Amino acid sequence: MSSGSGEYVRSLILARLEQPMVEMGLEPAAITDDFDLLTSGIVDSLGVVELIGAIEQQLGIALDLSELDPESLTTVGPLSRYIETQYLQSVHARRSA
Amino acid sequence: MRDDVRTLAAGFLRSAEYYPQRVALEVGGAKLTYQALYDAAKSLSKAILRNLSNDGPQLTAVLASRSVTAYAGVLGSLLAGHGYVPLNPSFPPERTNAMLRRSECRSLIVDAAAQSQLDQVLVNLTEPMVVILPECTGEIGEYTARWPKHRFVDAGELEHNSTDAPQQPSAAANAVAYLLFTSGSTGVPKGVAVAHRNVVHFVQAAVERYKIDEFDRFSQTFDLTFDLSAFDMFLAWERGACVCCPPRKALLNPAQFIRDSRLTIWFSVPSVALMMRQLGALKPAAFPTLRWSLFCGEALPADLAAAWAEAAPQSIVENLYGPTEVTIACTAYRWGGLSAPECEHNIVPIGYPLAGMKTLIADNNLREVPPGQEGELLMAGPQVSLGYWRDAEKTADRFVVPPDTELTYYRTGDRVCRPTSDGPLLFRGRLDHQIKVQGYRVELQEIEALLKQEAGVDLAIAVAWPLRSSSAGGIEAFMTAGPVHVDAVRERLKARLPSYAVPRKIHVIDCWPLNSNGKIDRGQLLKLLEAGL
Repeated sequence: MSSGSGEYVRSLILARLEQPMVEMGLEPAAITDDFDLLTSGIVDSLGVVELIGAIEQQLGIALDLSELDPESLTTVGPLSRYIETQYLQSVHARRSA
Repeated sequence: MRDDVRTLAAGFLRSAEYYPQRVALEVGGAKLTYQALYDAAKSLSKAILRNLSNDGPQLTAVLASRSVTAYAGVLGSLLAGHGYVPLNPSFPPERTNAMLRRSECRSLIVDAAAQSQLDQVLVNLTEPMVVILPECTGEIGEYTARWPKHRFVDAGELEHNSTDAPQQPSAAANAVAYLLFTSGSTGVPKGVAVAHRNVVHFVQAAVERYKIDEFDRFSQTFDLTFDLSAFDMFLAWERGACVCCPPRKALLNPAQFIRDSRLTIWFSVPSVALMMRQLGALKPAAFPTLRWSLFCGEALPADLAAAWAEAAPQSIVENLYGPTEVTIACTAYRWGGLSAPECEHNIVPIGYPLAGMKTLIADNNLREVPPGQEGELLMAGPQVSLGYWRDAEKTADRFVVPPDTELTYYRTGDRVCRPTSDGPLLFRGRLDHQIKVQGYRVELQEIEALLKQEAGVDLAIAVAWPLRSSSAGGIEAFMTAGPVHVDAVRERLKARLPSYAVPRKIHVIDCWPLNSNGKIDRGQLLKLLEAGL
């Protein structure tokens, strides 16, 4: 699993939110791609921002999620894939620089 | 001029006459013209008046959010000559029920999404209610069977009739236009009663200040339970403009909403802007359509104001300040090139009193402090509201006539610095334990009171945590070990408090840090949290 792949980002998200998930009786491994972190009550709006901040730190890049629609912003699969795209772009930009 | 000619509904009615085909409201994918919104509101007002006996307060509760029914409900209440009492479907039904009982409303308007809460909301109401369900087409018989005391009105029974001449509601200038519940320190939400004359004064001054016209498009980021929502609605409707209400989730990242809705006026708590910056949405010139960018409800960080000013270069950025008790906003500060030196600790000043409003910065004896000194901010003027609903004691405590004055001032509980010359007011903090969580006002004592009740313990302390530059991100609490498990306590708090006020964590501790006076040292508790506990 390479750092920045959708799967990797997904695992970062699930690892970070493991505690609230377990508290709600959810098994992180069983979380599907269409799982909504906000409506499920796993995070509140501040939690979303904290999550993004934590992923930025772990990947070492600044994310631009301004074009991501709010629905995808809080859904595990689309969020992971969007971040992956950004990560790959930033790696590519660094290499060609 | 008679005292009762101008009510909060008058501006909307005049716009409905001038601009019947202009769009008044965009919500949930629907665009309602002034005529359509007026028709919807009128049918609700008729249902209220037809079914209600005349005793009880002239108030109608609206349990609805971000729907046509929510806005038609607000207007329908006003058209019936009633004040509206917004109730928030995202709050626990138990809390909504407590507010409904406290308001003594006899009529209630509910949208489709909130209908599932009805059975919990209607428990233990002593008086018969008129429950209007404008989006309900079916199961009304079941409700009637379960709640024979109450009268239910569904979509089929609402009368749609657009041919009548506009009906001018009559209400005394001192009658309640809206009743809003805020956190109360004793554990019971307290209602702030705002009169028509208060809001009408604000609206008339503000449409001039912001030069509102029929081409303006207002954001509606606030829930109706937040009085700042009244700014968007009544300024827009005063001048034939449009209110654009996004779905709740769009507020997580409203950049697209601002652009797609071609907003001209943005108004939110700074937390929303903070979130947008975090997501990378505050790019230079990202929002070219905005002509006003307004923030209120919590401290505005100076760097955020600067970033927003760049993102919306055609707009003027203003920081507004005002407790619900003084109607929407009572001071304002205009951000500009010379603002940086006027800021303190990266926080934008709250500025200068708005038209007609007076400030007094006073000590504990309500005597004015000398320039340069810190004191409590008191506000007087036409926006000072009626006080706390059915609570003369609390009202007398906060609405006072200081010595050497003849005016009634509201004691805000906010610490400010009295400017030395003609400088702006600077917000320094609170005198009590009221905090803001992402812009929402919370009395920490309310949480502590509920914690003690539910946990069966003598000692519980709630603190704002994590702390951010604008306001708190959330709340964490400490309590002594008691007979009820912490998880169960937290579940009970969830049933009684809005989600933003529920402690994210409750820590059980047996050794409390004390300060030199022998009181619990809240600062030390924060240090424990900082250290990761």
